[in-house]
Amino acid sequence: MSSRPTEGNPLRAFASQIWGSIFRHGLPTTDKVAARTALTNFFLHVHPVRVKKSAIRVSYTLCLGGLSFFLFILLTISGLFLMFYYIPSVDQAYQNIKDLQFVATFGLVIRNLHRWAAHGMVITVWLHMARVFYQGAYKPPREFNWAIGTFLLLITLLLSFSGYLLPWDQLAVWAITVGTNMAKYAPIAGPYTRYLLLGGRNVGQGALIRFYVLHVVALPLIGFILMVIHFWRVRKDGFTGGL
Amino acid sequence: MALNPYDTPRGKLRSRVEATRRQFLLLVGAVGALGATLFGGIELLKFMFPAATLEAPPQFKTHFTVDDLTGSGTLKVNVLSDTGNRVTVVLDTTGIYAVYLVCTHLGCTPNYVSDVTSGTGVTDTAQTVAKHYSAEGGAISTRNGWACPCHGSRYFIDSTNFYGPAPRPMDWVDISVSPDKFFVVNRAAITVYRQAGDTSVPRWRLDPKTGKSNGATVGV
Repeated sequence: MSSRPTEGNPLRAFASQIWGSIFRHGLPTTDKVAARTALTNFFLHVHPVRVKKSAIRVSYTLCLGGLSFFLFILLTISGLFLMFYYIPSVDQAYQNIKDLQFVATFGLVIRNLHRWAAHGMVITVWLHMARVFYQGAYKPPREFNWAIGTFLLLITLLLSFSGYLLPWDQLAVWAITVGTNMAKYAPIAGPYTRYLLLGGRNVGQGALIRFYVLHVVALPLIGFILMVIHFWRVRKDGFTGGL
Repeated sequence: MALNPYDTPRGKLRSRVEATRRQFLLLVGAVGALGATLFGGIELLKFMFPAATLEAPPQFKTHFTVDDLTGSGTLKVNVLSDTGNRVTVVLDTTGIYAVYLVCTHLGCTPNYVSDVTSGTGVTDTAQTVAKHYSAEGGAISTRNGWACPCHGSRYFIDSTNFYGPAPRPMDWVDISVSPDKFFVVNRAAITVYRQAGDTSVPRWRLDPKTGKSNGATVGV
């Protein structure tokens, strides 16, 4: 550990202590220090200590998983801002969206950011899955992570579907009517699933609040937990190198 | 006889007589916790299925009267709809009936169209189309009906499906006349339920003069 030039200055000594408590190591001058730096930092610990040169080619993963995660972060932040204006009530929801578009400063940008990032995430997640499939990256030892990935795809699609109802326009109501009626066709559990999803027999207030809770709390939370496992697993399984 | 639990071999089940007080309490606690979790889980699941909803009651009064329906002489098949309540009331040459406007495909509300057969390639004969408009076999100028905006299913005015993905005709529901001449429709009381492929014209009708139905229900 490097010595701290703190002789005779209590303020600098204090600042140095704080700095040293966060960054335990100096600049990574050797491979060993670099490895230790990555290992002991929360933000760096998901990174592998060593990476093959072939693994950092852009064409290796096309950054599709990273792009999906970036869009998820973007959706979380823009969604958080939308929640300040949006009220999940059949009397107010549509008007709130109008307010976001035409009254709230920057509201149009944030709403469209949320909307287009949502479309984008569905696309990147699908492409990510296709890339993994065509390159055979689901094979051992990565079967478990492939399974987690399929659930993440499902979560992405459900998030997209549940967000579709929230503007409470004609498209939203009838799309959810059609979607939940499809669920009703499932044997035995179908009608119960529909009643559970809608909180009633028709798309109304009960459905709106349920889809809202699913959209802003339940699904993102499940998705987040699965993502943590997914990313950790990616690091543990390591790179296969060029295929 | 081992009364001290630490004297007994690990993992070996002892008979009930030999169970110590600690083991007994542990067992009771475990069963209790498991039971409470199970009970709570089931009740939580039931919580998610609303015991009551705030949806509109199935029976309601339309905003139009018998005279509104029978008064107009422009069409021989007259139609007045309450699309908010998803019900239409039809008067044809034999009487009045009400159709619950829920597409049998995936549940959208079909729109009223004045020429329902156009563009569908359906040949207008007494056997296929005309019977749905007139008991006498089709000497009527109108071919009005229902077109679903979601996936394009089409229905004749009597709710018989003939085009698109709809699997079966829409249901007819109970209609009566209140003392102030407005119609009372009960969406929960289905009077005509036809299976897939059933293109027969139901005989259930409400007499516009007496306000009484003939009770000729189908499939209920």
